[in-house]
Amino acid sequence: MIMSENKIHTENMFLYYSGKMALNNISITIPEKKVTAFIGPSGCGKSTFLRSLNRMNDLIDGVRIDGKVMIDGVNIYDKNIDVVNLRKKVGMVFQKSNPFAKSIYENVAYGPKINGVNDKSHLDEIVETALKNAAIWEEVKDRLGDSALGLSGGQQQRLCIARTLAVNPEIVLMDEPASALDPLSTAKIEELIVQLKEKYTIVIVTHNMQQAARISDNTAFFYLGELIEHDKTKKIFTNPDKKQTEDYITGRFG
Amino acid sequence: MILNYLIYLDMENYRIFDSELDKLAHKVIQMCSQVNLQLIDVVLALRTNDLKLAKKVISDDELINSLDVKIDKLCQKIFALQQPVATDLRYIISSLKINNDLERVGDHATNIAKRIEPLQDYKSLVEELGIYEIGQKTTELFSKVVDLVKSHDLAIAETIMEEADALKDECKQIAAKVLEEMMHQSEVVVVATNLLVIINIFERISSYSINIAESITFVVNGEIVKHRKQQ
Repeated sequence: MIMSENKIHTENMFLYYSGKMALNNISITIPEKKVTAFIGPSGCGKSTFLRSLNRMNDLIDGVRIDGKVMIDGVNIYDKNIDVVNLRKKVGMVFQKSNPFAKSIYENVAYGPKINGVNDKSHLDEIVETALKNAAIWEEVKDRLGDSALGLSGGQQQRLCIARTLAVNPEIVLMDEPASALDPLSTAKIEELIVQLKEKYTIVIVTHNMQQAARISDNTAFFYLGELIEHDKTKKIFTNPDKKQTEDYITGRFG
Repeated sequence: MILNYLIYLDMENYRIFDSELDKLAHKVIQMCSQVNLQLIDVVLALRTNDLKLAKKVISDDELINSLDVKIDKLCQKIFALQQPVATDLRYIISSLKINNDLERVGDHATNIAKRIEPLQDYKSLVEELGIYEIGQKTTELFSKVVDLVKSHDLAIAETIMEEADALKDECKQIAAKVLEEMMHQSEVVVVATNLLVIINIFERISSYSINIAESITFVVNGEIVKHRKQQ
């Protein structure tokens, strides 16, 4: 069983898109400072569930959520929750890297600036730390003023991770962060994810089963809006309890 | 095509990958049957003093060695190209181990075959010590191993583990008797040494049978049951 300090906990959570059920009774506990991978076929609800962990689904019309989504013991769907603060605490990295059409420096400094950090030397320090934590500092330190759009795909994705880290989150959600990258860039992102778990709780959606196996501590398998199985990654990939999990990871359906 | 692998799993959806696993399952069964044949032949040759049959056992070891290499290569290929997980992974790991155990049993059969000639003048002593019976029991045990490898039926695995343990004890008792003979009659020292080796081989084959039963248990339910007794 999964033993660690709980960071995220959902209980009997349902999500509906315009009345149609997309997540069916999800109860899961995600431990702190571990990498948890969500796997499952397209349309199984794993990305929907990931996005509900920092209320990204609020931006979609007709979404209704029932049940509890607790982070550090607080229901993030309570009325008095400040969504901006929530998203500072729960950062997100997307499949396609999406840097701003600004300099490398400005991309990372953007978040801290709108959060009120104005002191230049303090900003410099935040930018450097974030770029170092995202394992891209050495590659960009001499051209911080260049446009972020001039970076390679893999570098852009690590820049986006640096941008997320710059506002000092506790949880980083990643939706297929390496699926558009070549094997070398993918390896760099994977190595980075494993390093990041020292400081952050990482939740990652991936279609690449081997990637889930390589980098995650725990794996959750979703199918048709339900959480079928959630256990140690080692257990899921050597001897899963549920036949549906076995069928999916061995490629018999999905 | 015999879909051995799918029979184990009771699966409906066929993957391209399954043809490779079927090939592997087919080869492992073939290997097991061949080793079983070697064992039956060598025990028969021992009982009947059939030196021609003993020679055949020695030369047929080539077949086993060639299958051994084929199975190793096939497993290597599947690991490299298919990145197997779950039951597939456990099946391939176990196939490698079972293959190894079977190859050893084949070598042991050859080893007995080489010792049949020196025993020719001591038939009554060999009979008296119960060597033929223990040989017969070992082949019966091993035929269950063949059934197990074909069926993955864990009830058979349990029977094998029990019977093999009993057989090992029996081997130890016979070995003690042989030692006693050696102490009393110095002229039997050479033949008795050969007998000790043969008894030890039958004991080893029981151990390999247990290993194979444990490997199949691991394939079926992911449980590591080896060294259970010591724990």
